[in-house]
Amino acid sequence: MSRLLEFDGVYKAFGDEEVLEGVGFGMDRTDVEVVVGPSGSGKSTLLRCVNRLTEIDDGDIYLDGDSVHGMDVDSLRRRVGMVFQGVNLFAHRTALGNVTLGLRQVRGMSKAEAREAAESNLARVGLADQADSYPAELSGGQKQRVGIARALAMEPELLLFDEPTSALDPELIGEVLEVMQDLADDGMTMLVVTHEMGFARSVADTLTFLDGGRVVERGPPDRLFERPERKRTDQFLGRLDA
Amino acid sequence: MESVPLQPGDWAFVLGNWPVLAQGLYVTVLLTVGSLLLGFLAGFPAGAVEVYGAGPLRSVVRGAGVLLRGTPIVVLIVLFFFGAPWPDLGGLPLGGWLLVPRFDVNGRALLAATTALGLRSAAYQSQVFRGAIRSIDEGQMEAARAINLSTFQAVRHVVLPQALRRSIPGFQNEFTIVLKDTSIAIAIGLGELLFQGRQLFLQPGQSAVVEVVFVISAVYFVLTFATNRTLDLVERRYAIPEEST
Ligand SMILES: Nc1ncnc2c1ncn2[C@@H]1O[C@H](COP(=O)(O)OP(=O)(O)OP(=O)(O)O)[C@@H](O)[C@H]1O
Ligand SMILES: [Mg+2]
Repeated sequence: MSRLLEFDGVYKAFGDEEVLEGVGFGMDRTDVEVVVGPSGSGKSTLLRCVNRLTEIDDGDIYLDGDSVHGMDVDSLRRRVGMVFQGVNLFAHRTALGNVTLGLRQVRGMSKAEAREAAESNLARVGLADQADSYPAELSGGQKQRVGIARALAMEPELLLFDEPTSALDPELIGEVLEVMQDLADDGMTMLVVTHEMGFARSVADTLTFLDGGRVVERGPPDRLFERPERKRTDQFLGRLDA
Repeated sequence: MESVPLQPGDWAFVLGNWPVLAQGLYVTVLLTVGSLLLGFLAGFPAGAVEVYGAGPLRSVVRGAGVLLRGTPIVVLIVLFFFGAPWPDLGGLPLGGWLLVPRFDVNGRALLAATTALGLRSAAYQSQVFRGAIRSIDEGQMEAARAINLSTFQAVRHVVLPQALRRSIPGFQNEFTIVLKDTSIAIAIGLGELLFQGRQLFLQPGQSAVVEVVFVISAVYFVLTFATNRTLDLVERRYAIPEEST
């Protein structure tokens, strides 16, 4: 059986700048994979290539055995959800309205169906009581949880997280990580870029250290933290873990 | 005859001739509404094309905008009146309700003035919308694409509703300008408010110049004020809670 997601020698450059230089690894259904690495190492680019917000130059990416470049972008994005660092909620729509938009426009649900589905997804991130609040009326942590509900509602097979807590005040990070932990426990397949080492250690099945557009080291988080094979990994994780 | 301003007799003359001014007001309102509507219908897509469009279409839209914004409105009106191949529409019957007596207006002049004011307004409204669209954070568009909305759906459901709200102040401005500039249609003899006022004080033996101009100004002011307050209410009615940072 093919893996749910597989990077196969992925290259990407922006102009002269090589950002991804032959990235290759794979993950299976219900896996939680955390990617860490210094700023500019290509983490966001890697995620954006999966749902083709960015197109790769060489190599390939497979979703359940099929090249993402062979599918039309619509069906690809139906299957792969994304949560952003900046959250990017639709400012003119309530929490509920943020979740229902895709359900109505993309999944073609009726108003009542969409409302019901959106409410259950907001409940899943602990925001049932904030359905009618506008983004500006929510805390940063609540906003990010709406962002997660918005992605979840599309029922993706794979959820990408690009530094979902990096823009948050420290006291708001916990509530978002908790939601992510719950999703992982429910068997959601997640590819997560984060600097939260506690989360990486306790939730990730596999930890990947990306540097300079290459996978430097990859393995169970405990091994990478305690017995890294590469000096570079030790330096990076040691510094963040301190 | 010496014109002594503000004589009681002159005021009586102006008020007694209110139907003449009412007809002018009728044409002015019609011209304003028609021009703003044309300006919106052409300007809104034009603004979107300037942001999202590409290639020759965008160049054409931009070029037309530069041309229209760079030409004096009186030139445009005269050009559209004498230079455009309108059919001879003859007299267009108007009025006959709301206390305004029936009257005829030169159809060609009304069409020419509406087109000139409307296209120029489109050129300005497109800039209002362009700025409003640009002010919507890129990330929302990206989030929309990530949940698989098409570009058209994302623009329609995410960008436009926010851009329209942010356009209201610019639109208030544009309304005021168009309303006042309808008076330039006097150059092609269209019977709008200023033209009708002039008909009054040009009557032989009249000295009510200041009074007529005063009344006309008051009418423009009331229209501007009332419409702007109404748009304020619209803006407040549809306001989105703002981020308070
Ligand atoms: N659309 C783009 N056009 C040009 N250069 C880009 C683009 N996107 C990313 N880059 C460049 O590619 C490199 C990697 O960017 P990327 O955002 O993937 O890094 P990152 O690991 O996510 O960093 P961070 O931790 O700061 O988010 C950076 O040097 C960045 O400037
Ligand atoms: Mg990044």
